[in-house]
Amino acid sequence: MALRGTRDQVVTPLRVLSIGIILSIVLAAVAFVSLSMGPAKVSMGTILDWCAGMGSVDQTTSMILASIRLPRILLAGLVGFTLSLGGVVFQALLRNPLAEPFILGISSGAAIGAIGGIVLGLGFSVGVPLLSFISALATILLVLGISSRHGGLESSTLLLTGVIVNAFFTAVIMFFIATASDSRLHSMLFWLYGDLSQSKYIQFSVCLPLVLIVSGVIYFFSRHLNLIVGGEEPALQMGVEVELVKWVAFIGISLVTGVVVAFSGIIGFVGLIVPHLMRIMLGPDHRLLIPASALGGAVFLVAADTVARMIISPSELPVGVITAFLGAPFFIYLLKRKGSQWNQD
Amino acid sequence: MKEARFRCNFSRSLFLLLLIVLLCSPLKVRAATFRDSLGRKVVLSAAPERIVSLAPSITEMIYFLGLDARLVGVTRFSYFPEQAKEKARVGTYTDINLEKVVTLDPDLVIATADGNRREDVEMLEEAGIPVYVVNPRRVGQILEAIEAVGDICGIAHRARERVGSLRKRVARVEGAVQGRGKPLVLLVINVKPLMSVNRSTTHHDIIGLAGGRNLAEDQPITYPRLSLEEVIRRRPEVIIISSMEKGGEHERARREWFRWTTIPAVQKGRVHVISSDLIDRAAPRIVEGLEEMAKLIHPEIPWH
Amino acid sequence: MEPGLTLKSISFSYGNHWSLEGISFGLKKGELVGMIGPNGSGKSTLLRIMDGLIRTDTGEVLLMNSPISRYRRHEVARQIAMVPQEAIFRFNFSVLEVVLMGRFSHRGLFPFEEKEDLEIARESMLRTGTLDLERRSIHELSGGEKQRVLIARALTQKAQFILLDEPTSQLDIRHKVEIFELISSLVRVQGFGVMVVSHDISLAAQHCNRMLLLNKGRMYRIGSPDEVVTTDTIREVYECPVLVDKNPITQTPRVTVLSRRSENTKDIAVQPLSH
Repeated sequence: MALRGTRDQVVTPLRVLSIGIILSIVLAAVAFVSLSMGPAKVSMGTILDWCAGMGSVDQTTSMILASIRLPRILLAGLVGFTLSLGGVVFQALLRNPLAEPFILGISSGAAIGAIGGIVLGLGFSVGVPLLSFISALATILLVLGISSRHGGLESSTLLLTGVIVNAFFTAVIMFFIATASDSRLHSMLFWLYGDLSQSKYIQFSVCLPLVLIVSGVIYFFSRHLNLIVGGEEPALQMGVEVELVKWVAFIGISLVTGVVVAFSGIIGFVGLIVPHLMRIMLGPDHRLLIPASALGGAVFLVAADTVARMIISPSELPVGVITAFLGAPFFIYLLKRKGSQWNQD
Repeated sequence: MKEARFRCNFSRSLFLLLLIVLLCSPLKVRAATFRDSLGRKVVLSAAPERIVSLAPSITEMIYFLGLDARLVGVTRFSYFPEQAKEKARVGTYTDINLEKVVTLDPDLVIATADGNRREDVEMLEEAGIPVYVVNPRRVGQILEAIEAVGDICGIAHRARERVGSLRKRVARVEGAVQGRGKPLVLLVINVKPLMSVNRSTTHHDIIGLAGGRNLAEDQPITYPRLSLEEVIRRRPEVIIISSMEKGGEHERARREWFRWTTIPAVQKGRVHVISSDLIDRAAPRIVEGLEEMAKLIHPEIPWH
Repeated sequence: MEPGLTLKSISFSYGNHWSLEGISFGLKKGELVGMIGPNGSGKSTLLRIMDGLIRTDTGEVLLMNSPISRYRRHEVARQIAMVPQEAIFRFNFSVLEVVLMGRFSHRGLFPFEEKEDLEIARESMLRTGTLDLERRSIHELSGGEKQRVLIARALTQKAQFILLDEPTSQLDIRHKVEIFELISSLVRVQGFGVMVVSHDISLAAQHCNRMLLLNKGRMYRIGSPDEVVTTDTIREVYECPVLVDKNPITQTPRVTVLSRRSENTKDIAVQPLSH
């Protein structure tokens, strides 16, 4: 496997497969290490025993691994996967390096639903996520609706509408926060920073099928994205049904992002940083970039969540704090880097 | 010439006399100086007749002392006792409407260091309104604060009597749990994320007085966010969830704990909900909260 | 009716004033048509209308006798290839990858290229003199190199109609000539129908079978280069003093731009060069 620098020529199925396998192995390794980390000391050997179904693992450890750590790792992986996937797609469609799935207002839309749910005293298993998802979807449809003219979606209008919606909803959220009673406030704040504690398998199972389906559809459009990146009109000229791709991609990504965010809260920077990193390492062809970013995002978030769990153990930080700490300096580095794979016009 | 000088001297003396009289006036009126819990000097010219409370806990104190007739303003969430709902509102305790306070023309404002903003207190002082700040961090300090409020309102005797009965109740609890084992207690003040309290809180004091050990006492952060794993590892014997309402999500949260079957508290079914009003507020009802906690931590004692 | 790319009574406007009005003509296979006209006369817009990218207010565009709006985009792409004036690449694709993009409309569901695609791409690059740039990043190229790459990309579409929007604007004279010769041979040898927009009026006149002069959104003149490119027409439309005479070697119209001073000097006799 060669990195971009050696000018490996055109992306082939073999290359995609090999990068995919390598990243999957890395993901498995990171997950494995993450399983062993936590306030309760669990050695790697114990984990191996546990995986093999050996009876030698005591009940407490087994419960911690199975009911606390593993579901959390799975959800972190899935959320990271989804957010990075969204990041790649949005950066391509909006032809904007600052794009990530939250840019069109999903974040604030979901947040309003979640905060509303918290204020109403709904449960965190069903009520809050459901309200968050519905609210995110409504926001996206609003933004898409405002931005569509003659059945076409204009990128610049989309961006602008997203920014305005985000700003307005953020004001609403600030109102809720300012008037929140103490007991609700903490829940709200941690949702806003992303919180993967108390993850459950059911959450993973609910999100997984949708994510897989949307990923498949998006991957089908990876060639189309390659062309769209060079301009919507040239893409049209070469035969891409640009509007169709945009609608499908925006709605698909918004759906999956809305679903995972409903459970995890707003975790920023993943959708921004991971695609950039992957693009620098592996090149801009989306047939490779999409699976690489998605898997890379999974690795990134599992690692970040592990840090969030361990850094002030036995207390925890919200994972969004870690991604911001990692992401912000990296982002600045990106901006300063000349020839950062983006040609400014 | 001589006349002029005489007139001049006379004016000067008159002026001097006036000055002396003015300077002496405060001394003529009967005034009292108190020191509040932050060491601030609070000067009152008479027993206050128009009091504004800047926190629900303080409102409770005032009603407890029977001073509610003098209460002219309370904060928004002052719902206890019921009658407090009829008093005029001055905002929330983190966001006081200073104008409203001034309009009510109080001669005493009582604030708490745990919640009210320093700027608000300073602004009121600049407006010439005396502000007395309480800052109780322990159950004992809460009782002292109630007495102090009684002092400052000129009903020291009544205050001592009433607080005395509270002290008796506290002593009773302390006596009852003495000598018994101290079960490990997890107090959950927030469900998601999971948060507890460390040793610098009143809640911690209550747990101690109620004969328990606070699982999160050594945490560096006041309201630490705990990982579930840590709780499982530490094996608490009692789990108490502090809640705003009995039913609803906290009942659900209570049931959520039953998944973690290795925790002794779960195995013995000792997961309970307690009303947060009883233990969150630095008010007279804290004693009720203490009694509740004690019953939950030591159910084997024949409380009656 | 001979199948081709036909426009009938096309009108199109941005906002209040007419951008294009009353355009009717047809591009046939095996002919090279040059479209000229001042900036803002609607040339680029017309090209985009011909590619079905813009819906016109009136009239219709027919591709092989069917309205172009009825075709799916990839079907259009197999018939019509367009070379835009410039392209902004926000990512550093390699030149080969960019050229391969033209194969999009030929790929089925399988998203990866096959040997045939690579061969076609390399052949196109050979013909545009860009084969040695294969591994370079598209960002590193000069304006002229980029233009040739875009032409190569269009060639891989294997479309029978090619529309080029000022393909030589950034090229030096050698490359300008090479491009026009390439376009000519595509028409003569392979029978493509090509429309090229250019400001190199003389060069276009040398190679084109027909020319179309646009002015303020209307067809000012259409016909053979001799008919379209004259002193009067060019001076009037471009509002600029010119001298159009006959190139002694190619016998095609040759445009010489004069400065305003020399035009005002009436005693300079305007004479063809004598040999």
